[in-house]
Amino acid sequence: MRSGVRTRASFWVFALAVLAFIYVPLGVVAINSFNSDRTFGWPPPGLTTRWWSAALKAPGPRDALRTSVEAGLGATAIALVLASLLALALTRYRFFGRNAISLLVILPIALPGIVTGIALQSVIQNVLNPVFGINAGLFTIIVGHATFCIVVVFNNVTARLRRMGGSLESASADLGARPLTTFRLVTFPLLRTAILAGALLAFALSFDEIVVTTFTAGPGTPTLPIWIFNNLFRPNQAPVVNVVAVILVAVSILPVWLALRLSGTEAAESRL
Amino acid sequence: MGSKKALVGLLTPPMLWLVVAYLGALAAIFATAFFTTDPFTNEVVRTFTTENFKALLSPTYLRIIGRTLFIAVMVTVLCIVIAVPFAYFMARVAPRRLRHLLVAAVLVPLWASYLVKAYAWRTMVQPGGVLDSTFGTTPGYGFAAVVLTLTYLWLPYMILPVYAGFERLPESHLEASADLGAKGLHTFRRVILPALLPAIAAGTVFTFSLSLGDYIAVQIVGGTLQVLGTTVLQNITLDLPFAAALGTTSVVIMVFYLVAVGRTGALDNL
Repeated sequence: MRSGVRTRASFWVFALAVLAFIYVPLGVVAINSFNSDRTFGWPPPGLTTRWWSAALKAPGPRDALRTSVEAGLGATAIALVLASLLALALTRYRFFGRNAISLLVILPIALPGIVTGIALQSVIQNVLNPVFGINAGLFTIIVGHATFCIVVVFNNVTARLRRMGGSLESASADLGARPLTTFRLVTFPLLRTAILAGALLAFALSFDEIVVTTFTAGPGTPTLPIWIFNNLFRPNQAPVVNVVAVILVAVSILPVWLALRLSGTEAAESRL
Repeated sequence: MGSKKALVGLLTPPMLWLVVAYLGALAAIFATAFFTTDPFTNEVVRTFTTENFKALLSPTYLRIIGRTLFIAVMVTVLCIVIAVPFAYFMARVAPRRLRHLLVAAVLVPLWASYLVKAYAWRTMVQPGGVLDSTFGTTPGYGFAAVVLTLTYLWLPYMILPVYAGFERLPESHLEASADLGAKGLHTFRRVILPALLPAIAAGTVFTFSLSLGDYIAVQIVGGTLQVLGTTVLQNITLDLPFAAALGTTSVVIMVFYLVAVGRTGALDNL
């Protein structure tokens, strides 16, 4: 379609408006973290770094940050192992129930989080606590997060395995390598960046999750998003909430940038 | 390639996890929807009943379900209206070297904290906030703010599949249409839109089902607005079976929607 100058110009205007729509609200939160007005009147009457130093000293966000990082690392580690095994099984073998399994992997991210959340909560209350004496806390957060993190690692590794094809592995087998040797010397090195990208994205997903976490975190172990949500409606905490929000965005975007560099845009699209 | 033994070894750990930790929990909660609650102790009583689903048919809950569906439809339509021209811009109007940058510009907010994005809109619509002081008016907390915020949250989920759809559309089809004398809008209606429909349908799966299940953004910018998600939340502690029935309802609506969209062939692209 050849379009005239005016049509093209209006597309540019529209696109810039959409980009503004996407980025202005995030920019506002960033600016508000320096807003000297406690109730965030706009435009800010003055700028201050008071909230930043207050937030960095406050014990609440710091403990929450530690919980978030620990949960993210734990969930990522579990998801990494389970998803890689699953991806290898599903791309390199044909067997009955294969499609059902690939559906099962997406389910935790496709169903409303609140359904997964209450399901896991009732398992904690009815099985884990009475039978094993496990209370809601870091462990249960990790279990919940790992369940929905599997899908991002799985998507990344599967995409890479498909693109690789099986010929290199066949060649390795023809040259006499055993399956484990082939995996160690051929498959794994080729998968490494895809696994790493998947891990970064899984960490980002876990770091940001709130719905399932609400139901699996005990009262004593809030993650950063839970801490924000609990303090969102408390006026005297509002300035600190803004600072924590900025940190949360920064920490969740950083892994995505790295994953983009490692594995291209397909990796970051694995959230779709 | 490998032996049966290797396959079993690969499959066992992830299947144990997904089936025991996840599917088991899910099955239990769906079963709970058919149980009832002792009115004095709030304990779940395990006797089979369809009372919870009958209670959903009362005017109060029908209105809430209707409102939730309406929000999901509005958000989906708004996302389509914004995403289609924007994706067209990304794929066809913007210079080629800008494309990667534009894709990244859409991908980054997809991963930026959900909670912070919802919170950002709270500060946008609050009285005396950005909208108020820039445009002199704000929708305030409520229905309009919820639709706006959800549109904002799920927009990248629509832009990316539609962009991929435009990328797949051969330039030659557009040229042929122009050579045959079709004007811009005519080409859009007769050539672009039909080819794009599966991509749009794929995008609506996200915008529709994510809106249907949301309750956090609704709490943050919705004021006292009630949707399916918030009613599930309110019933969890006192009446888990009813909460489970409400949750099941949203899952059933989603499944119906998925099946309907699946018939257009849109899900083959995912």
